[in-house]
Amino acid sequence: MLRIKALRASVDGKEILKGIDLEVRAGEVHAVMGPNGSGKSTLAHVLAGRDGYQVTGGGVDLMGQDLLDLETEERAHQGLFLAMQYPVELPGVNNLTFLRESLNAVRRARGEAEMDAVGFMKLVRQKANDVKLDQKLLKRSVNAGFSGGEKKRNEILQMAVLEPRLAILDETDSGLDIDALRTVADGVNMMRSPDRAMIVVTHYQRLLDYIEPDHLHVLADGRIVRSGGKELAVELEERGYGWLLEEHAA
Amino acid sequence: MTRQLQAVSDFQKATQHYIAGLPLDQGAWLTDHRWSAAMRFSDLGFPDKREEAWRYTSIEGLLEQGFITSDSDSEVVGAEFEQHFLHGPTAGRVVFVDGTFQPALSDTHIPGVRVSNLRTAMETSDLEILKSVGTLSGPGTHGFSALNMATMRDGALIRVGGGSRLDAPIDLISISTSSASGRTMRPRHLIVLERGAEAMLVERYLSLHEGAYFNNLVCEVLLEEGASLIHQRVQQESESAYHLADLHIELQADASYRGVNLAMGGAWSRTMISNCFAAPGASCELHGLYLAGEGQLVDFHLDVDHAVPGCDSRENFRGILHGNGRAVFDGRILVQEQAQKSSAHLSNANLMLSRRAEVDTKPQLEILADDVLCSHGTTVGQIDPQALFYLRSRGLSEERARRLLCLGFASEILEEFRSAGLREHLAGLIQKKIGSEP
Ligand SMILES: Nc1ncnc2c1ncn2[C@@H]1O[C@H](COP(=O)(O)OP(=O)(O)OP(=O)(O)O)[C@@H](O)[C@H]1O
Ligand SMILES: [Mg+2]
Repeated sequence: MLRIKALRASVDGKEILKGIDLEVRAGEVHAVMGPNGSGKSTLAHVLAGRDGYQVTGGGVDLMGQDLLDLETEERAHQGLFLAMQYPVELPGVNNLTFLRESLNAVRRARGEAEMDAVGFMKLVRQKANDVKLDQKLLKRSVNAGFSGGEKKRNEILQMAVLEPRLAILDETDSGLDIDALRTVADGVNMMRSPDRAMIVVTHYQRLLDYIEPDHLHVLADGRIVRSGGKELAVELEERGYGWLLEEHAA
Repeated sequence: MTRQLQAVSDFQKATQHYIAGLPLDQGAWLTDHRWSAAMRFSDLGFPDKREEAWRYTSIEGLLEQGFITSDSDSEVVGAEFEQHFLHGPTAGRVVFVDGTFQPALSDTHIPGVRVSNLRTAMETSDLEILKSVGTLSGPGTHGFSALNMATMRDGALIRVGGGSRLDAPIDLISISTSSASGRTMRPRHLIVLERGAEAMLVERYLSLHEGAYFNNLVCEVLLEEGASLIHQRVQQESESAYHLADLHIELQADASYRGVNLAMGGAWSRTMISNCFAAPGASCELHGLYLAGEGQLVDFHLDVDHAVPGCDSRENFRGILHGNGRAVFDGRILVQEQAQKSSAHLSNANLMLSRRAEVDTKPQLEILADDVLCSHGTTVGQIDPQALFYLRSRGLSEERARRLLCLGFASEILEEFRSAGLREHLAGLIQKKIGSEP
């Protein structure tokens, strides 16, 4: 589904991604861990097409398409979804209006009919219920004044409504209380399907206990320095990243 | 003489000539008022750029247009106007076409409210009604308002009786037709709410054509003790038009005025709002949204005078500028020495969609009392690229994302339009306007 090859990217001339290789097949869940500043969010942003990054080498293929050739919204139309580490507040933009516009934009791109107001409301109520998002938040401005946890749940709600093919969750578990963490994990597990893939960026083994990824990668200084199964998380929890970096340098 | 000076002088001469030709046999009230205003106009002349209040807003273009032709009544066909009337429940409707009251299109039977028009009142020398006209504006604070009174012809006179409570808005609508091209309209409205009355008024100016004309209007709003008005104003003139609105508000004890202004039409438009607190306990909220695109200038001047203690004012204006649109915002609040326990909060935010757009914003708080709560803030910014990315990453096109963010920026002010139908209609117009230009 997704094939990243020798991807290099920099910001203001400073190289952040120094050759990333990663292959994600439909149905798989990949976890990405790594020290602060190692380039995890940068990778997510480059995949989503955010301005300000220069891709200096390598390529990305999503379901047979050259991903880097597409505009941000076209990537969303192709089924890419990024739950952001820091969801943006949009004062004055109603959450429901935003969700409906997003869903219809994605449906149009998939050649499906736009959803009418009644059908949409039913769908959103159901999904909000699934991700335990307070219905009142639907009527407010997008993320404006939301608590950290509410913002993250709102990201999961968007994912649930848009039903992407490839979802990247950038630290969606950070700053969540124990129940919320469970909800986010349930949200991810609910979305798991043979024709959908997910990349979950996290700092905590706890999330991986709930999600049970098929593969785990460690990103350090712009490179994947180790890939393994979920048991790698236990080792990292005990020993930290230091030993891996040393091994990699050697 | 430069071309501009020639234009001013021609316009002034023609205007004096026009005033001199007005009939003098319409009763003492009218003659007195016309003449004192004509004298005032002679004294003041037209404002010029050396005056601080007119520094950023040139009137040369307006004067060059001339806009002096004889008065005539436009031919009026109902159907083309009706679609513009307020949808949903209304308490009544007062319609003007090219500056002239239209009884056949209006619905003035509102229980507890007396609705009449200036022209009829002048023709019948109805002093009972006329006596309040001009009490707030005087013969004119600048040349244009003096001109309005010297040449006044028609306008709405609405008096809401003591204790009356209207549960739906009065639709006061002025429509310009192509017969207005090249002409000056000078409506003069007077809104009085007697003791304890409560009302909502929607006051709109719109155009059925793209021609140039000059709408030089004065509106006086007097709220007696404990009265409360929600005043929703919309300026949606032709994009070649000139629009000058002079709004005077006076609030008696415990009165409450809540006004929202949307200005989006006109090649040149200026709204001057002055609020005077006449007794303690009153509150005045002024909200506004202005949009200026290619070739447009929009200007707001606020003058809020806290002359007595214990009154609250809040001024909240936002602007969206695109193309080479220009805006001027000048918000002046004076808290006089004796006006203790006042509160005054002024804010102005501007969203610039183009590098060629310009805004001059000047909040002025002059605070002479010490026991007061006052604040002011101004911002000028662009669309947040992170917000744009967020929306696009959810599948919205860049254009759609921009529009949504603009509407989001405007929404705080749009919320002040209380009728959902009107608010949605206006939101649609704003989207269209923003979408139509780069
Ligand atoms: N716009 C930018 N300008 C300058 N430096 C940037 C920019 N974006 C990212 N960087 C730098 O790139 C490096 C990687 O940042 P990134 O956000 O990808 O790390 P991360 O792995 O997601 O870290 P964390 O675990 O703290 O979220 C950091 O050193 C960061 O300062
Ligand atoms: Mg990060």
